[in-house]
Amino acid sequence: MRALRPIVAPILALIAYLSVAAATPLWNTALAAAFPGETRILYPDATPLGLVVQHLELVLISSAISITVGLALGIFITRRAGVAFHDVVSDLTNLGQTFPPVAVFTLAVPLLGFGLRPTVVALALYGILPVLRNTVAGLKGVPPEVLESADGVGMRPVQRLLRVELPLAAPVIVAGIRVSVVVNVATATIGAIAGAGGFGAPIINGLVNLAPAVTLEGALLAAGLALVLDALLGGVERALTGGRPPAV
Amino acid sequence: MISIRNVSKSYEGAGAAAVRDLSFDVPAGEVVVLIGPSGCGKSTTMRMVNRLVEPDAGTITIDGRDVREYRPEQLRRHIGYAIQGVGLFPHWTVAQNVAVVPGLLGWERERVTERTAELLELVGLEPGGYGRKYPHELSGGEAQRVGVARALAADPPVLLMDEPFGAVDPLTRDRLHAEFRAIQDRLKKTVLFVTHDMDEAVTLGDRIVVMRDGMLVQQDTPERVLAYPADAFVASFVGAERALKRLSLAPVTEALDPPGLARACDCSVGSTASLREALARILELGVPAIDVHDEHGARIGTVSVESIVERFKRPLT
Repeated sequence: MRALRPIVAPILALIAYLSVAAATPLWNTALAAAFPGETRILYPDATPLGLVVQHLELVLISSAISITVGLALGIFITRRAGVAFHDVVSDLTNLGQTFPPVAVFTLAVPLLGFGLRPTVVALALYGILPVLRNTVAGLKGVPPEVLESADGVGMRPVQRLLRVELPLAAPVIVAGIRVSVVVNVATATIGAIAGAGGFGAPIINGLVNLAPAVTLEGALLAAGLALVLDALLGGVERALTGGRPPAV
Repeated sequence: MISIRNVSKSYEGAGAAAVRDLSFDVPAGEVVVLIGPSGCGKSTTMRMVNRLVEPDAGTITIDGRDVREYRPEQLRRHIGYAIQGVGLFPHWTVAQNVAVVPGLLGWERERVTERTAELLELVGLEPGGYGRKYPHELSGGEAQRVGVARALAADPPVLLMDEPFGAVDPLTRDRLHAEFRAIQDRLKKTVLFVTHDMDEAVTLGDRIVVMRDGMLVQQDTPERVLAYPADAFVASFVGAERALKRLSLAPVTEALDPPGLARACDCSVGSTASLREALARILELGVPAIDVHDEHGARIGTVSVESIVERFKRPLT
């Protein structure tokens, strides 16, 4: 249980964030006070908590895909069978990262239609690189004599991966996941232009209707979620490192 | 017995072969030390025994069975393996590290726990205190003891050791050597030991195999390698002090003159001392000879500078 201590505070922060988001009257009062004279205070089509649910849906689905693909690719190109693909995969994901996400959305819409799907695809593609890069760095950072020992005691390749390599690389991999998810929370706001909802919706709505309070509502919710998720994954990172010094 | 026959290995891109037509045996229950300068192919040779490296040609058998008949993982679980960097798993406790091979072999939990404690005891680490520690909490010497315990965990008949006592200070190293010899005298494992240090080879080996450029240059007992180096390379490798190293291998009883009527001097050494210790006493005291006594304190003879010189003139068998 002691190992879980680093994630207690972030979980409390997450609960606090959700409670505040659920208090719609609080938002109304606070934003009305901040923008006296404004008629449009809150985003009309969804409550703050409703926006959080929409946004989390985007982030969780796309990040789950990013993490799965990034981990799998990272493991594959560090195995003997996949070494040949190492450079190609790295180049492709680096290239993907240089492509502006707005352009990805615009290109994805004709193929996948409006709404959740093109947004999730674009965000997932965008989030692969940090996970992949850190998976490769973490696995390559496992000391060679530890790998030689794992082989020398007679572990099968899968046993070596699951019992030695991934546990030792885990803190570095989680750091990559953290970057990927936090960037994803911000990038997902662009999904609103494809009609995916989320915090982008009030931001764009406020922009179009010259209603700064509405934009601020979306921005505050987005920043809060990014901070909370960052703290949570940072806690996981520390829990994995435990009392021992990092191996890499 | 490990038997290596006409084994060759080249690495892609490397100019010369790493190992060329190498043949030698490691007799059951003996320690054979493979020695040579770095890059001579000694580690490659060792790693071919547990198939971490596959030879291009030749065969390696253990107790008559070709190592290629086993699945590599199965083979390795029955061969103890200790290496220079030790390579303890940093995220596991000492006890978990020692228990890894029994775990892979599917031993029952109680048997593993019992065996782990027994092994930590054997290498001189108190199981209660050390079992729960993590590798980063150990000193260099302690880590190497754990490495040896891990190699011995499943009681393999064969051990492969690649400079397992490499990265520690000379004092700790001497102690680890003495302990290893004591453990080996009890367990009688078949050990292939790799080092580049002639002192270590002479201390630990029952036989020494000297390698250079992937080929065998000489194989013999430590004393004969010191006394009769096969060529100028071996002679320079064993060093200019090889006669002094031989002194530490020979017990005083091999250069004993019968006890004279008079005592040689008012001093003596035990019959288990080496000629090196006897000579040191002679030099210290500035006398031509000293007495040797047995474990009961009875005088059994004398050792003199002359008798040592005579002993060195006798051909070795």
